Parts: sequence; structure tokens; C-alpha cells
Amino acid sequence: MSVFDPKHETMPRAALEQVQLERLQALVARLKRNVRRYRDALGDRHVSSLADLAGLPLTQPEDLIQAFPYGMFALPLREVIRLHSTTGPEARQLVIGHTRNDLVNWGRLTARQFAAAGMTEHDVVQLCFEGGLIKGAAGYTLGAEMIEASIIPEDPYHIDYQLAMLRNYRVTVLITTPSNARDLMEVLRTRRLDPQSLQLRCVLLSRPVPASEREELKTGLFADVRCNFGVAEILNPGLCVECAEGRHHVNEDHFLPEIVDGELVVTTLCREAMPLLRYATRIAATLAADKCACGRTGVTLTPGTRLDGRLRVNEITLYAPQIAEVLSHTRASGTPFKLDIAERGITIGLKISDALFPDIMGDLVTLQQEVEREFATRLGIHAEVRYLEAYHFASSILPQGTCAPFATRP
Amino acid sequence: MLRVRNLRCGYGSLHVIRGLSLHVDAGEIVALIGANGAGKTSLLKALVGLIPPVGGEIRIDGRDATGEPPWRAIANGVALVPEGRQIFADMTVMENLEVGGYRNPDRALPIADVLERFPRLRERAAQLAGTLSGGEQQMLALGRALAARPRLVLLDEPSMGLAPLMVQEVFRTIRALKEQGVTVFLVEQNAVAALQVADRAYVLETGEVILEGEAADLLRNPEVKRAYLGKGYKEVWE
Repeated sequence: MSVFDPKHETMPRAALEQVQLERLQALVARLKRNVRRYRDALGDRHVSSLADLAGLPLTQPEDLIQAFPYGMFALPLREVIRLHSTTGPEARQLVIGHTRNDLVNWGRLTARQFAAAGMTEHDVVQLCFEGGLIKGAAGYTLGAEMIEASIIPEDPYHIDYQLAMLRNYRVTVLITTPSNARDLMEVLRTRRLDPQSLQLRCVLLSRPVPASEREELKTGLFADVRCNFGVAEILNPGLCVECAEGRHHVNEDHFLPEIVDGELVVTTLCREAMPLLRYATRIAATLAADKCACGRTGVTLTPGTRLDGRLRVNEITLYAPQIAEVLSHTRASGTPFKLDIAERGITIGLKISDALFPDIMGDLVTLQQEVEREFATRLGIHAEVRYLEAYHFASSILPQGTCAPFATRP
Repeated sequence: MLRVRNLRCGYGSLHVIRGLSLHVDAGEIVALIGANGAGKTSLLKALVGLIPPVGGEIRIDGRDATGEPPWRAIANGVALVPEGRQIFADMTVMENLEVGGYRNPDRALPIADVLERFPRLRERAAQLAGTLSGGEQQMLALGRALAARPRLVLLDEPSMGLAPLMVQEVFRTIRALKEQGVTVFLVEQNAVAALQVADRAYVLETGEVILEGEAADLLRNPEVKRAYLGKGYKEVWE
């Protein structure tokens, strides 16, 4: 498989560390000049070697929340040409800004992943993401345009239509979520369609999946399967390149990764609009610096679990407090509940009690519909409501909570 | 070819360069742009040993060249074309070129190359250098540096004081140098011209690099546009 930017992706470590030091020094100088929060935090500290990085202050997601919306920007808003909103701890909104160069670099970094997956200008690419992943889709589009592949953006809600497009346009690369890839595989299986009848050569998944699932998809879709790994606040896609050996090489000319107490911490070396110094990603990870057969010299990253309780339901990320918050907007407000979070939807068990419509079955159905509607409109996820007797709550190991009435919440 | 790490230098207690790192790979044109007083010329002087560094490291072809005297820089294949040309005005054009190549016993060859590259200098070989026009003097300063057959040429403000047509000529020459495999480190206030000719660039402000990257990317950078390319924003919003 080819390397999109051999100069930087296979740069000898000594040269790479020189580039990193130069960029880190420039970053610190720029942050001290342009971002008040960093100016206060950095004082007169100077970076004279990469080892000095460990002595610099961390940027926590909470800092981004406090600085929301534009307090972390290193440039005036008028010079920022794209804003991407994402969700931070406790479901608070975060915003990431991009300049023209940030978008150009995003395209280049994503193109590295595409080249590593063997994509060329001859490929026809179907990009199939739901609304929640539209920001990542923007990065994939930039990358595909960078390597001049033909890209077809599509939503995954009409799988028949998606399948027809895969056939009609002779799509060779599918970029999608693991859920959509599985749906597609199931449709092929249940309709007894031969996956080889599609022209798919490669499926690039939006996030890592277990090896067993990857193998299943490989067979089910008769295509090579690659997985992206990124962090929305840093870059997703574009943080890493998964090589043919299945290892995620960090694009170290743009990002300086560290592991602090098991947590992945990343410094953005080149970002113009909103550079982040030692951003604590709230993701457990390990880094390895051993040689890889693919020739890339960036350290390899093995992502672990989320450390902040972020959940993923049907590829939409959310936090448990958001669930309680949605419930507090319904007439189930104040009712103890327990959650069963599955990959495609959640099941909410509401504790049945005297207070909760004891007699009229119709009311229970109405409440059920109300809760389901609220989850669909507020979080975009499917929620199933069940009513449970009190004893379910005594022994359950599932997450539980009581949503306070909305008016009393801080 | 050139690796600078964390360089600090200045004049007495005044530190003009405050922990600067940069590199120039073989065959590249790398520009350093910055306003007056940013420390551009001081950096070049430190690179060729005209002012001693007080910290950091300069490596040429992997060899530590920190604090070496200027003559060692020439021996290392580094030649400086100083700001304001500084040709020997009372010597002829040919004598200037010979001085440039004096360390090289085979200097006749590079001098012949220089005269071929700059036909105007050939025409005026016997003329006193002080009588040349500004553009011709710049060519002579460049020719004098090339007579040492350097592998790395450091150019300090080559466009300064030249008419626009001559500036174009100077930058055409810089591009031609690259094609012949000469590595160029170009220090300029004329940011547009420098970024158009360079492969990569650094932006220096008060002795620190604040931006670096591909020259084409820096042309798009909002801060560069604002500070050097005349995109006139007065206030900065934070």
C-alpha cells in the first residue's frame, strides 16, 4: 500500500523530533501571544527540548467548556472559516474552529489514511454517515478530494438505496460506521446476495472494532476492512493512520501524543484556529515506538476505553446525565429509572409506583410514547420504555438514577 | 543539512535570539521572514560565527558547528550574502569574485560558472564594484558567495533597496540555484516574494519562531496575511 506523504510519514525519528521541537516552540510562542488562558498558564516558560513538554500544563475538556465558545481560539473569529460542535463531559457543548489551512491539513492527514488503505484517484467512494457523524464526514470528504477520488455522500437510513448505489456506481471503497457495515452485511446475507457482486475493495470504519468483528465484516462484505481512530476535539479522522499491519500510527508531525496516568494526551502542533496544548482526551490508550513493517515512523497507538463515561448508542455519543436530563423534561420526571444501554438503542426501566399513574393503562402508554419521542428529538436515539416493579431496582447491576424535576436542577 | 536547536544569542546582555530551532534540508529553499528587529540578521551572523551563541546547538551535516569561527563556516560549505551587499567597492568585479573563492584552489571554475550565470558581471569584470548599480551589486554579492562553491547559501535581505524588476531577477536567480542543487536559507522582509520562492518558511517575531510550515501554507495563514501581506486588521479579538 502506498504512503501519501513519505517525507513526513516515514521521517527518521531524529528528523521528526527536530520538526516536533520546532513546531512545539512555535506553538508555545503563539499560544502565549494569542490565547489569554494559555498566556496565564504558561507564564514565562520556554520549551528547549521535547522533554520539557511534560512540565507544561494540561488542557482539560473542562477548560474548553469554560472557554466556550471562542475563548480557546488563537485567531479572531473572522479568520475561522468552519466551526464544528462536539459534546464534552456532562454533555456540555464544545466548539472546534478551523482556518483554511486547518482544513487543508485535515484533508492531507485523512488522505494519508486513504493512501494507506490503497485508495487512489481511480476509486469511487461511498461515504455513508448519519447526521451525528457529519463532522467526521467533512474530514473524509476533504481527504477524498485531496487524492481526487470520486466521493458519494450518502445517509445510511435507506439501506436498499445504499445498496443500489453501491452497485450502480460501482463503488470500490465504503466509508461508514461499524453499525452500517453490519446492517449491509446482514442485508446481503438475508437476501442471499453475493458480496462479490459488489465491487467493494475496502471498507473504512469510522472507529476501531474488535478483531472478530473485523474478520466477520471482511468475509461478509468481501473487502479489506480498515478502522479509523480519532478524537473529535483533536481531529477525527486524521489523528492516526491505520497501516496494512493493522497498527494506528499517530501523525506525529502534526500531533504530539503522550500517555499521562494511562490517559491519551495530545498536543496539536500545526493547528491555527484552535491549537491545544496537552489536551487530556479522556481516552485510555497505550503508545508503542517499535519499528513497523509498513515503514511509518509515527508511534503506534492502541486505544482503550473512554474514561469519562461517554456512551455510544447507534453511533451517537452521549453521556448518562443527558439521559436523566431528557427524562426530566417528561412527566416521568422524578421517577427512579434504570438503564440498559445497547448498541442500537436504550431501554429505560421506569419504577412503577403509586405516583406513576397507578390505574389508567392509557396514561402509561402515553408516557411511554412521550419519553420515546423526547429521546428521538433531543438525542436522536431510540429509547424503549418499560415499567418495572420496585424489586428490579434492589438487585440490579445496571446503571440507575433518579431524575430530579427539571426545575430543581442547577 | 543545517540543524539549529534552541539557539540563544545576542549582544552583551541583550538576547536577540531566544531559543530558536530550525532546520534546512539539502536542496531546499527555506525562508525566514520577520519584521525589523525580529532578529533575522543576528541569526545569520550566529550561523556563520560572527556572533557567538550563548546557548543551543548548530549542526551542519550532522557535525556540531556551534561557536565555530567564520572561516570554519566557509570550510563547512556555508556562504553568507550579507545584508546591504557589502561588496568591496574599491576592487574590481573579478577581484571581488576571487576574494569570494580564495579558499578554493580551483576557484577559476566556480568563477567561470558565476560569470556564465551573471553575464552582466562578465561585461563589467574589470569595472570597480562600487560603480555597479544596486541590482548588479547584489548579483556580485551572490556571485562572490557562489565562488566559494558553497553547499548552503545564507542570503540576508537580497531584495533590499532594489527596484521591483531587479527583485524579480534576484528571486529568479535563487530559484536557479535550487535547480543546481544549492541549498538556500533566505532571510527576507519581503514576505510575498520570499514565500513564493521558498519551499518552507519560518516566521520570526522578537527572537522566537511563531509560525513555520510549507511556504504555500504560510501564504494562506491569517497571521502572516495580517502582519506581512497587508490584510489590515488593527484590533485582535480574543
